[in-house]
Amino acid sequence: MPSKETISPDRPAGTAAAPSESALKREIEKIASESGAKAIAVALHDFETGFELHYQADRWFHAASTIKVPILLGVFAAIDRGDLLPHSRVHVRNRFLSVVEDIPFRVESGRDANSAVHNAIGKMMRVDELAYHMITTSSNLATNLLLGVIGPQSVNETLRELKLEEGIDLKRGVEDELAFDKGINNLVTADGLLKILTMLAAGKAFSPALSRRMMDILHGQEFNQGIPARLPKGTRVAHKTGEISNVAHDAGVVYLPKRKPYALVILTEWDPNASGRSRTIATISHAIYEALTTTPTDE
Amino acid sequence: MTASPTFPHARHESPNFPLRVVDGLTLPAEYRKALRPGEEWKDGNGFPRQLPRYFYEIPSWDSAMKVELASHFLLWEFIQVDVREAAPLRTFPRYVPCAITLLAVCLERFREAVGTLVHISANGGYRSPSHRFSKNATPHAWGTAANIYRIGDTYLDNRSAVERFSLIARETLPGVWTRPYGTPTGYAEDHLHLDLGYVISVPRDVKS
Repeated sequence: MPSKETISPDRPAGTAAAPSESALKREIEKIASESGAKAIAVALHDFETGFELHYQADRWFHAASTIKVPILLGVFAAIDRGDLLPHSRVHVRNRFLSVVEDIPFRVESGRDANSAVHNAIGKMMRVDELAYHMITTSSNLATNLLLGVIGPQSVNETLRELKLEEGIDLKRGVEDELAFDKGINNLVTADGLLKILTMLAAGKAFSPALSRRMMDILHGQEFNQGIPARLPKGTRVAHKTGEISNVAHDAGVVYLPKRKPYALVILTEWDPNASGRSRTIATISHAIYEALTTTPTDE
Repeated sequence: MTASPTFPHARHESPNFPLRVVDGLTLPAEYRKALRPGEEWKDGNGFPRQLPRYFYEIPSWDSAMKVELASHFLLWEFIQVDVREAAPLRTFPRYVPCAITLLAVCLERFREAVGTLVHISANGGYRSPSHRFSKNATPHAWGTAANIYRIGDTYLDNRSAVERFSLIARETLPGVWTRPYGTPTGYAEDHLHLDLGYVISVPRDVKS
């Protein structure tokens, strides 16, 4: 069960085989050039060996739905403070105010893969239910409802307190088209997301119990065309995808049998009409899996 | 929780309405702070309004599910509040202004007019002056306002639906006020708000 997993500190350097960083970067560059992506960033932390990879990992990207990971952290910060309980109830209302002049907007029901939250309009849902829908089916309505309760400022304060603010720039909720048109967007770097995932996987976000609860939610992810797609059967991935017209991302923690997990973030940017986004993410993920699980060769 | 101060003789005898009346001024401090019984509160135009002082005490969710305020309206429908409500008012016993019964009767009449179910939204019945939505005095804190998000199978999230049912409400309920359709402050675009104004009900057994 994912909820039982805890990760002890990284194994001391040299006690397990680490891949060749330069060879792995060359492989990623090759995949990137063949994919037609405008930009690709990768950040990796392997709990088994301590190996890290940072490829364009400080480059800023539109966060798309990966911003929901920091928001999840903000929700659990409120739970940790006692401001919220997992079963606290939230009014499900599809009306939000843009950061541009407080103009009201709604989340289109067709943009959410899951209708459960839209079906509850007028009623209430629990915080933990909304958090689950926000991550596992990427419900934009659930996201904006949770952000409406805790506030973007609270999320940013949490990131600062946990020293995770570098690489995460949360400005607003999702589907705020007026803000998008004015270039006011949530941004992330691969390193920024990696630090959050590493903290979660290590059980160090607030408490081991709360970290596990967040990881459990991430384990429920239903969109598995990215990082998990080309990994062996039996691999479990706790992750969050993100996709809009010009970006496609996946960020998660990969649990393989008989070894400690690794945290991996793959961010990609594309021309709006480009194809092959998920395939590219899956190919990079597979290359990293191969590098981490096979004996390195001398350069 | 200390025992709730009540009026020994101010208990309704109907088996369907077993709620006690309490004087908000005698409630424990955390409730007085949240309910602000009898206090003055300014509305959006700066006019002072006096908040209700007398409340029905709701001992449990189970009782809220059973108490009929009107033939088709149970008490629970008027007290659904989310995490934005003051913490003491999200647990039982809960308190609701005595004028809630007047609202229920009006909604029953409205239901007869529309001929189908009338759904009150979360945060759309009674909410206290300490609720995070309550910036200025609102009849919701008097228990005399309802936000209706759905009537039958019709969601009131468009001009046509809101204006159609708003007209029925005004034709059916003399003196009722409905919020006009629109997005600015003071308008509503995803529900029908109707209210009876800042009505205070003081049950006649209350001796003060």
